[in-house]
Amino acid sequence: MSDAASGAPAKIRLRHLAKRFRSRPGMVTAIDDVSVEIAAGCFFMIVGPSGCGKTTLLRIIAGLEQPSAGSVEVLRRDRAKPVNSMIFQGDSIFPWMTVWDNAAYGLVLRGVARSQIREVVGHYLERTGLTRFADAYPHQLSGGMKQRVAIARAFANDPEILLMDEPFSALDEQNKTLLQQELLRIWEEHKKTVVFITHSVDEAVTLGDRIMIMTAQPGRAKAMIDVPFARPRSVLDLRADPRYGALVHRIWGDLREEVQRARAEAHQ
Amino acid sequence: MSVEGAATPELPAPVVEALDAESLLGRHFYELLSVASPLALLGLWEASARLGVVDARFFPAPSGVAETFWSMARSGELWLHTEASLLRLLCGFLVGGIPALALGIAMGLSSLLRALVEPLIAATYPIPKSAIMPLLLLVFGLGEASKVAMVAIGVFFPVAMNAVTGVLEINRIYLDVGRNYRASRWQVFRTIALPGALPFIMTGIKLGVGLGLVLIAISEMLGAKSGLGYLIWNAWEILDVNAMYVGLFTIALLGFFFTHVLNVLERWLVPWKTR
Repeated sequence: MSDAASGAPAKIRLRHLAKRFRSRPGMVTAIDDVSVEIAAGCFFMIVGPSGCGKTTLLRIIAGLEQPSAGSVEVLRRDRAKPVNSMIFQGDSIFPWMTVWDNAAYGLVLRGVARSQIREVVGHYLERTGLTRFADAYPHQLSGGMKQRVAIARAFANDPEILLMDEPFSALDEQNKTLLQQELLRIWEEHKKTVVFITHSVDEAVTLGDRIMIMTAQPGRAKAMIDVPFARPRSVLDLRADPRYGALVHRIWGDLREEVQRARAEAHQ
Repeated sequence: MSVEGAATPELPAPVVEALDAESLLGRHFYELLSVASPLALLGLWEASARLGVVDARFFPAPSGVAETFWSMARSGELWLHTEASLLRLLCGFLVGGIPALALGIAMGLSSLLRALVEPLIAATYPIPKSAIMPLLLLVFGLGEASKVAMVAIGVFFPVAMNAVTGVLEINRIYLDVGRNYRASRWQVFRTIALPGALPFIMTGIKLGVGLGLVLIAISEMLGAKSGLGYLIWNAWEILDVNAMYVGLFTIALLGFFFTHVLNVLERWLVPWKTR
């Protein structure tokens, strides 16, 4: 059910968020006045042309960067849990740790009991198909496997919300489809609130409950679209649904103008 | 939830095994080569000395040097000197290396500290270490402390400088991960900065050990009554050329030995580095 607009209480509130950078020609506005409420349990997608500030927005939600104006509020249910865990774009798992130690990273830092770490990490390695590779080092793994480790690490940390910054953008089409399905399967277990950044319209429609389309720089919220597909979803069956094509087409209509604007600015 | 299977250590995957076997073969081949080249040089030298191609008074045949080596080893004299040098080397290495490691990593993590300390290192690094021996003798006297200080100073620079580079070379994304997972300063140091910089740190340690051997020999030539440097200097004074070569050869052996040990240590400490 796409319930984001209705019933569920808000989990994340962004109020008038803005981010300005100092750069050579002067001040650059990366994000301008973004206000949005994200419902608890919502798989929230942010789509926008490259350079629209969507990664900056996510880093602000993660607390890795400070906004120039506005506020981020995450409504916490359990103070003992970390607020967020991020799955980064590209290789972010530590090359000097085994798959197991990478997945256990957040729990070990928090000093969680060893038996609990064994149980939780064992569970997520199993869910990501990595059990066999628990003692392997990242350089022995393919790109898709590494990103599975990053997924296991974020889920094992058991945060209030999950943040994902184009986690599959470096993967080939086949791996991407596989990982999208696996991510949905793992996410279904607890349905934590997710904020997922992508430049792929297909990915947004496949994974999300709600999609925010951003304008080219400065990034603003241009449109908000609810995705009607029921869960659990099959990534492949979804594509046969006539509504899928219609939705992708509609979002592209909103996005096209922004992509062209971003390109025009890049060529100046 | 059934997690028992996942909790017990798994057999390494077939892919991993195949990779290891391949690199093991290559590794042994290169180890063989690194033994063969010094042996070939020794053979050439022996032949030249015997055939009179080189002056045997200055370049005695390795077989003759080996004889002296053997008799000095049996009398315990050689070990006495080696032990003295090794002890100074170890002390100097710890006194210089540990602060260098801590400072280097801290500098890599803090741009403030880098700005403060980097010019000092840049200015003092090019001073030849042997040139400050008289100063060290003034400050520390003729005893052990001046020798240890000499090695410590020599080890300090390569270890510190490589640790800084090592931390700076760590991909920023790993530090972001550390922040995202709320790692404390100490946890960032222990789980990211130290292991991430370890390949560079090992390079620094190898350079430091080499430089330490050079400096220990030099410092023992002045006011020491033991050590390999003393052995060499003393042999020159009494013109015992064979004994001099024994000293030189022992230092060379130590260098070879340390390089090997450190390479093994590196493979053990940095199993994740692809080579």
